[in-house]
Amino acid sequence: MRDVAIIGAGMIPFGRRDEDTLMEMLAYASLKALDDAGLGDGTVDAVYLGNMGGGIIQHQTSIASSLVDRLSLLPAAAETVENGPASGGSALKNGLLAVASGYYDVVLVVGGEKMREVTGWRATDFVATMTHPQAEYPYGITLPGMAGMFTRLYMEKYGVTREMLVAVALKNQEMGALNPYAHVEMALSREGIFESPHAVVNNPTVADPLHLYDACPVSDGAAAVVLCPLEMAKKFGKVPVLIAGFGQATDTHTLQERDDPTDLKAVSLAAQQALDRAKLKPADIHVAELHDAFTILEIAESEHVGFFKKGEGGKAAEAGKTRLGGQIPINVSGGLKARGHPVGATGVAQAVEIVFQLRHELPKNRQVKNAETGLTINFGGFGNNVTCFVLRRVQP
Amino acid sequence: MKQIAITAYKCKKCGRIHYPFHDRCLACKGREFEEMKPQGNARLLTFTTIYNLPWGFDQRYLVIGVAEFENGVKAMGQIKADAADQLRTGMTMKASWEPVRVQYGEDVYGLKFEPI
Repeated sequence: MRDVAIIGAGMIPFGRRDEDTLMEMLAYASLKALDDAGLGDGTVDAVYLGNMGGGIIQHQTSIASSLVDRLSLLPAAAETVENGPASGGSALKNGLLAVASGYYDVVLVVGGEKMREVTGWRATDFVATMTHPQAEYPYGITLPGMAGMFTRLYMEKYGVTREMLVAVALKNQEMGALNPYAHVEMALSREGIFESPHAVVNNPTVADPLHLYDACPVSDGAAAVVLCPLEMAKKFGKVPVLIAGFGQATDTHTLQERDDPTDLKAVSLAAQQALDRAKLKPADIHVAELHDAFTILEIAESEHVGFFKKGEGGKAAEAGKTRLGGQIPINVSGGLKARGHPVGATGVAQAVEIVFQLRHELPKNRQVKNAETGLTINFGGFGNNVTCFVLRRVQP
Repeated sequence: MKQIAITAYKCKKCGRIHYPFHDRCLACKGREFEEMKPQGNARLLTFTTIYNLPWGFDQRYLVIGVAEFENGVKAMGQIKADAADQLRTGMTMKASWEPVRVQYGEDVYGLKFEPI
């Protein structure tokens, strides 16, 4: 197995991109990553494209084949990787394994989704297609609904409060306001979303106990990275970022069949595998991008990865330990909460953010000082298929 | 009243109860199961009220939850309640088999729970 480095990273601003097709977004992000790597007209051996909904929303399939044609990357090998909201993480995993095995040298990984093309009603239904087709979907369950039921259990078991959820929302919106790639570039005030007459209007319940600002927006967007063997990476212009560890694990399709539905086993296992591979411990990680599709998930994942003990993640968020400058800065990008969650793009966008952090390229108000290591969690289904990457800066 | 048309599966080797169906037991990988029907009332395990409904639901909100029947079968269902503040986890629910949505002009049946 060869060590694999990320030599280029790029993304386009997430949000509502009525002016672009899915293919245009994928092409723009890909070109940014290829140019960032300084690859010029050099050969790309293979393309892995993370996307969940092209076949449903755009009525377009085989989109990786279209992308290599559009980008003139022919005859590069190409395929689309679908793993629900972890499609981006799974595409990156496929790229990693392809280069590590020695089969390919230069691989482009891109993730993208265009969800605002349809009404919220349709987008909610599209995301709900990942629930169980007989035991869950017919009842009208949605992903916010799953998160609401999970939050109730987590609150009852661990004493998580709405104040703790609000702390996560405020932090991530504050950071999103500083991130030009974020969908929601707007900081919030506590009064605006919690315990005030304004909050009743601004922050209605979406799936109790979760409110609007506990949930990520529905977004369009794309992100891309370029991989090559570490030994080749010095030929390119940028500080290489090593993929030091990867992990992936699955769990039962339905929440009700888990022995303890508050136990996100797939997150724990994926993180453990990735950290073991990287020969690091949770305390060695300097910056993390967790899958905060809902505020409760940032808290729960921060515990399951091992940054905090079970039941301590909410208190840590409230105490500011997960802020920039805190014990472990989490979602300095704004996370899914503010950057947005174009489902197939998210896993790749998380890696792009960590690459920027580890190359020390971000402005002071977003840069984790001297960051050398980063971790990402991309959470598919409701925790039934999770990927984790540990990335490490390679000293130039 | 219609019979609840859910079948759960008890592993003949280790006794683990499954719903929905799995080809191999989640605990011991056994492949033989005894079919069982949900029995008695159900205990509410968790619930939520969804206000942003998916396509296909022409209503303002939907109360939904997961409950465990007296014989150990756990299943999701819609809840007959005006709002979640009428509910608490652990409460006893009566189950019925009723239309839960309309698809292509026809009723789709499923579980409904109602607090006793």
